Amino acid sequence: MIELKNIHKIFNQGQPNEFAAVQEVTLEIEPEKVTVFKGPSGSGKTTLLSLIGCMARPTSGRIFLSGREITSLPERFLTEIRRKTFGFIFQQLNLIKGITVLENIMLPAYPNGEKFSAVKNRAMRLLEVLELTPKANSKIEWLSGGEAQRTAVARALINNPAVIIADEPTAHLDTKLSMELVGTLAKFKEDQKMVLIASHDPLVYESKIVDRVIHLRDGKIEGPPT
Amino acid sequence: MIFHPAIIALLLSSILMSFLMTYSSYFGVLIFRKWDLRNGSELQLAMERRTYLISTVLTYIFAFQILSFFLYIYTADRLHSLFVGAMCAAGTLQVNPYGYPALLLKIFNCLLAGTWLILNHTDNQAFDYPLIRKKYVFLLLMAPLLLTETFLQGAYFLNLKPNIITSCCGSLFSIGENALASEITGLPPQPTMFAFYLSTGASLAAGVYSLLKNRGAYLFAILSMATFLISIVSILSFISLYFYELPTHHCPFCILQQEYGYVGYPLYAALFGSGITGIGVGILAPFRNTQSLARTLPALQRKLTFFSLVSSLIFAALVTWRILFSDFILL
Repeated sequence: MIELKNIHKIFNQGQPNEFAAVQEVTLEIEPEKVTVFKGPSGSGKTTLLSLIGCMARPTSGRIFLSGREITSLPERFLTEIRRKTFGFIFQQLNLIKGITVLENIMLPAYPNGEKFSAVKNRAMRLLEVLELTPKANSKIEWLSGGEAQRTAVARALINNPAVIIADEPTAHLDTKLSMELVGTLAKFKEDQKMVLIASHDPLVYESKIVDRVIHLRDGKIEGPPT
Repeated sequence: MIFHPAIIALLLSSILMSFLMTYSSYFGVLIFRKWDLRNGSELQLAMERRTYLISTVLTYIFAFQILSFFLYIYTADRLHSLFVGAMCAAGTLQVNPYGYPALLLKIFNCLLAGTWLILNHTDNQAFDYPLIRKKYVFLLLMAPLLLTETFLQGAYFLNLKPNIITSCCGSLFSIGENALASEITGLPPQPTMFAFYLSTGASLAAGVYSLLKNRGAYLFAILSMATFLISIVSILSFISLYFYELPTHHCPFCILQQEYGYVGYPLYAALFGSGITGIGVGILAPFRNTQSLARTLPALQRKLTFFSLVSSLIFAALVTWRILFSDFILL
């Protein structure tokens, strides 16, 4: 369970270009469900996901993860939570060029200090599930859009996180690849993971796998959840 | 004279330290009055972010504060050739009325800075800032002392007049009415040596007991503090005599010179290392039942105890080596 209490996020506070990205957001997100944050560009979806995923701190308000308050945590504790609890699929994928698919997938596991062979085995299993095994030693720049997307998904799963955060995951995909991704997200749900998606793609938020859609506009939650 | 690089470094660093201490004190008052981890207000979250920055900056500042003690005595020692009559730092510090008060305050602030660093490090091990109020109150108590040190040190360096004829350490640290700390230098060596080895032995025993049984932190801290003070008295009373191989030369500064292999630096470093970490063990003892520190604090106390024991042993070994192998026979 993730609980948000009166969250505000204001950028450039006190400056002429002050911008309130998230305002008065109070929310409870249930575990093992797929929740979509829907809203136009600039509505605060990405900012809200960054706050939930401990990648940014709110200006005010508190976030609780399984009953534990996480916004006050010193950075090194937050890093630990970020690493072990959340898996991120970014809008721009953020894969590292010049290294292989396998190395990209293994990267988030390196700071945990696990044995290299154990991490490699886990990465190879993920490649198999996502049908990427033949591409294991290919460099990122040689991949097609769908392959790159699946590599990003595998990377998000390498630390076996309880929560998957996906920011506009279908933004650069055609319909076929988008449907494939929705299928992958459905597998996460079957694996009892909490999935949080920011999207304004009807293919995502109208999908059957989605349990709840939260509408955001101007940083605020709009109307009751659907 | 103030254009000496070490003096510039000391003056600039103390001014910077005073500025940051003043700002941190303001922040400390804010923390003391408004800190509430259950509150999600903008002020609370801003304080949580800022304390991270301030404590990081203060860590560097206090680490330099400890080093600055050594830099201060090194500088005073280097400058002795500029003053008629001075043979080492003892004479240089006597040039005006600010030298020795600044030194004494530096020693005291060095201990406080070390203790604060231990408190801060411990606080950073927990997720819920269990010592935050205490470390900022401690900081508030330190602030006037550090500001006074800046004033005294500044006044000392700015009032160094080369035409002043000062005294040499031989007359300053001797047994006489006009000498500095004459009641200490005049202490009979035999009982002082007995007190030195007794206190060192007792603190070593208490440290080993604390390491083995995981208790006795207060006793170890008290004995460490006592050993620290007795060791300083011992340097003036009998240790210096063995290093100089002279029955009347009690100067605590000449041992910093090349002539004596700079042995004063490891000697004082071990003494302060042992004292600070020993006190730290006791300072942390009241927090052993703090839930968020329950796992990390005993291990940290053991590390500090071990470091204190090793430093104490180094100090005792250096002194004993000199007593045993020097040509000088005092007793």
